[in-house]
Amino acid sequence: MSAGLNPPVTAARRRLSDRQKDLIQTFAALGSLVALVAAFSLTSGAFLSLGNGMSIGLQVTSIALLGIGATVVIIAGGIDLSVGSVLALAGVVAALCVKELGLPVPLAMLAGIGVGGVCGLVNGLVVTRLKLPPFIATLGMMLIARGLALQLTGARAVSGLGEAFGELGNGALLRLVRVGEDGFPEVLFPGIPYPVLLMAVIALAVAFGLRRSVLGRHVYAVGSNAEAARLSGVAVGRVVTLTYVLSGLLAGLTGCVLMSRLVTAQPNEGVMYELDAIASAVIGGTSLAGGVGTISGTVIGAFVIGILRNGLNMNGVSAFTQQIIIGLVILLTVWIDQLRNRR
Amino acid sequence: MLDGADDAAASGGLATGAPEGTSPLLALSGIAKEFPGVRALSGVDFDLRRGEVHAVCGENGAGKSTLMKIISGVQAPSAGRIVYKGVERRFASPLEAEAAGIAMIHQELNLVAHLTVAENIFLGREPRRGFLVDRRALRDGARACLDRLGAGIDPDTLVRDLSVAQCQLVEIAKALSLKAELLIMDEPTSSLTEQEARRLFQVIRDLKAAGAGIVYISHRLDEMREIVDRVTVLRDGRHVSTDAFAAVTLDAIVARMVGRALDEKFPERTSVPTGHVILEAAGLTRAGAFRDVSFTLRRGEILGFAGLMGAGRTEVARAIFGADPLEAGSLAIEGRSLTIRDPRDAIAAGIAYLSEDRKAQGLAVKMPVDANLTLANLGAVANRLGLIDAGRHAAAAQGFVDRLEIRTPSLGQPVRLLSGGNQQKIIIGKWLFRDAKVMLFDEPTRGIDVGAKLAIYTIMDRLAARGIGVVLISSELPEILGMTDRVAVFHRGRLVRILDTARTDQEEIMHYASGFGTA
Ligand SMILES: Nc1ncnc2c1ncn2[C@@H]1O[C@H](COP(=O)(O)OP(=O)(O)OP(=O)(O)O)[C@@H](O)[C@H]1O
Ligand SMILES: [Mg+2]
Repeated sequence: MSAGLNPPVTAARRRLSDRQKDLIQTFAALGSLVALVAAFSLTSGAFLSLGNGMSIGLQVTSIALLGIGATVVIIAGGIDLSVGSVLALAGVVAALCVKELGLPVPLAMLAGIGVGGVCGLVNGLVVTRLKLPPFIATLGMMLIARGLALQLTGARAVSGLGEAFGELGNGALLRLVRVGEDGFPEVLFPGIPYPVLLMAVIALAVAFGLRRSVLGRHVYAVGSNAEAARLSGVAVGRVVTLTYVLSGLLAGLTGCVLMSRLVTAQPNEGVMYELDAIASAVIGGTSLAGGVGTISGTVIGAFVIGILRNGLNMNGVSAFTQQIIIGLVILLTVWIDQLRNRR
Repeated sequence: MLDGADDAAASGGLATGAPEGTSPLLALSGIAKEFPGVRALSGVDFDLRRGEVHAVCGENGAGKSTLMKIISGVQAPSAGRIVYKGVERRFASPLEAEAAGIAMIHQELNLVAHLTVAENIFLGREPRRGFLVDRRALRDGARACLDRLGAGIDPDTLVRDLSVAQCQLVEIAKALSLKAELLIMDEPTSSLTEQEARRLFQVIRDLKAAGAGIVYISHRLDEMREIVDRVTVLRDGRHVSTDAFAAVTLDAIVARMVGRALDEKFPERTSVPTGHVILEAAGLTRAGAFRDVSFTLRRGEILGFAGLMGAGRTEVARAIFGADPLEAGSLAIEGRSLTIRDPRDAIAAGIAYLSEDRKAQGLAVKMPVDANLTLANLGAVANRLGLIDAGRHAAAAQGFVDRLEIRTPSLGQPVRLLSGGNQQKIIIGKWLFRDAKVMLFDEPTRGIDVGAKLAIYTIMDRLAARGIGVVLISSELPEILGMTDRVAVFHRGRLVRILDTARTDQEEIMHYASGFGTA
């Protein structure tokens, strides 16, 4: 037992390793992201191109937007399984508003987002008023919203929506195009896609709100100890409901973005997306027990998932193997996170 | 006597293979423990003999619980030797320690709320018949342990329906059921009434006679006289002294704990109750909890709630605060009648309630110190848009950390990493920040060291002097007698009698609390 004979040395060594451990874990998600990018750049020449970066960005947007909602819900101690279905319903409603009611596109999309918000409100009320467990409440909504989307469209895709409907999903800010000598347009700078821009703005806004606002503080308090929060005068029911509304609104927005990209509304869009959303939050350090989590972590988590998918695709890894790998990554990151919380 | 590391007592037991009778049951030497940013223990020596009760005293955060967790395998020491029954050991988990005959009653309650009392007591060691749990043996075993403590708790009750004191008895019963040779009790009596505590002491004497070694931690120093053989004092993670209990006075122990002499246990009362009624309760009733409770609280008054476990004191306070519903009765603050549906209404009306169960009801333990201190009054550090002003937030939190001498490495430390007493101080800080008109303190000094108790009493007195009405619910009669102006005595959900503190004594209070004088 050298530990007993030489305490100062052991203590010093321990402190150092403790600090290192903390450092490693703080950057675990970010580090694995960098490692992934490096590995894929080596194995696939096309990975590190501007075009691919753009498509990763777009892929990540939907995971991140849903993930932000999932993070807030989970921090407050809940879970939202309905977002994949809600996004389909929202997209379908937006498309039908354009096609059947002839509403202008922005208004139609607001209606779609609004539908998402209403679904979230229902989730929130079922959880806080009827006191159903969040898992059950949102599982119900998952089936209901999907059923509604299929019903409204007769299970068929809604197409022929016009160019304006595709603007949100395919347009970009600061896109520089020059008409070349041969008469064909030449893209000088592809610009920042609107979805990516939206994601960045929303991520910053929600992160700021969680960190700095009274409401954000209440979200953490409710997830950490709902009873203590209630006895401190926090309107627990209202806070919880709001988290589901936010998740619903973001699902609605994601639905509009996705359908706009395809310029077609698919009632079958977004199946299992809720799991990607939850996974991105968990990889980013959000604890399913509530009370812990950050938006920056979730965005990193979304990138980890998006880049894994994209890179594995480019390397010709089959979809089945991809699932296995992503499953392992989730287990690994959560395990590392648990290590940090041990003694 | 205030020696340091090379304490004579610790050297005896290190020779391995010595005959059992002479070597101590347990000998620790040079135990150190570091947490990120905190040195909880540095080079502590400690030993425990068979058949003795060895008390460990120290201020909140002195390292008592940490030392015990190291013995029982909950935490690993950064350095040091643990010799148990003559063999150097290091328990990797509480299970290993239990297998070696070491049991610990933790300071914080650790029961599973939705299991029954019996299931909790035998959790992980359920008696079996074949593959199935032997329910009868489970229940009988649990009942035997509970009866030994004189706790009239039905083994089939769900733990979530128990009061804090009952939970504590279940924890004790659980430890007793392990039939350990070395039993660690970390503040076992902190929410027990005197009678319950006395039953526990009888059990401790029995265990002692049977040859078990017991480590006993408590901030109720008076009760040590009943059972303790030797006492060790820790200060700031260091060993200060170990003596035979008979050879030292309580004052000397306190002086060593705090590092200076404490002359008084209670502050001079500066506040005088005015004639102004601030809170009036009439006919408060909830079936099964309390009936027809009426009292008035005046500005500047400290009103005590005394009674035995289950007398309904906490229930009344929670109902006034809106935490639980009220079935009948009326409340008025400053003459205006109130409808209180939930705690938000009560807080808005100027009522604050400091709950007795800090882990379940008082604190968001994953959140940092500062966020907990400001949780009940975030509006005061936020602007009109609902954004928190970081500077004002930190200043407010730091103010309470300083004023209450909360021991924490930083404002950002998660509350669950603080010592029990320091957690309690955070709840108090939270409600001081809120600035209420009526403050209901439910066992506010539970688990708090003598020095800090005095500080909290002083704060209560100042609050009263500022015209606030204070209700003090306490199971410690000396505290009730030392701090209150009047005492409301409860028995089985009834307010039996309101007594003038200056003209009453322990006997009279106990008389009414035990049900004499009820119509
Ligand atoms: N897991 C932990 N991580 C970080 N710091 C810790 C941890 N556990 C304890 N500490 C710190 O170690 C010190 C000693 O704590 P400990 O719980 O042993 O005190 P204590 O003497 O039992 O106090 P009390 O009388 O309040 O129960 C405190 O400063 C506490 O904040
Ligand atoms: Mg302790």
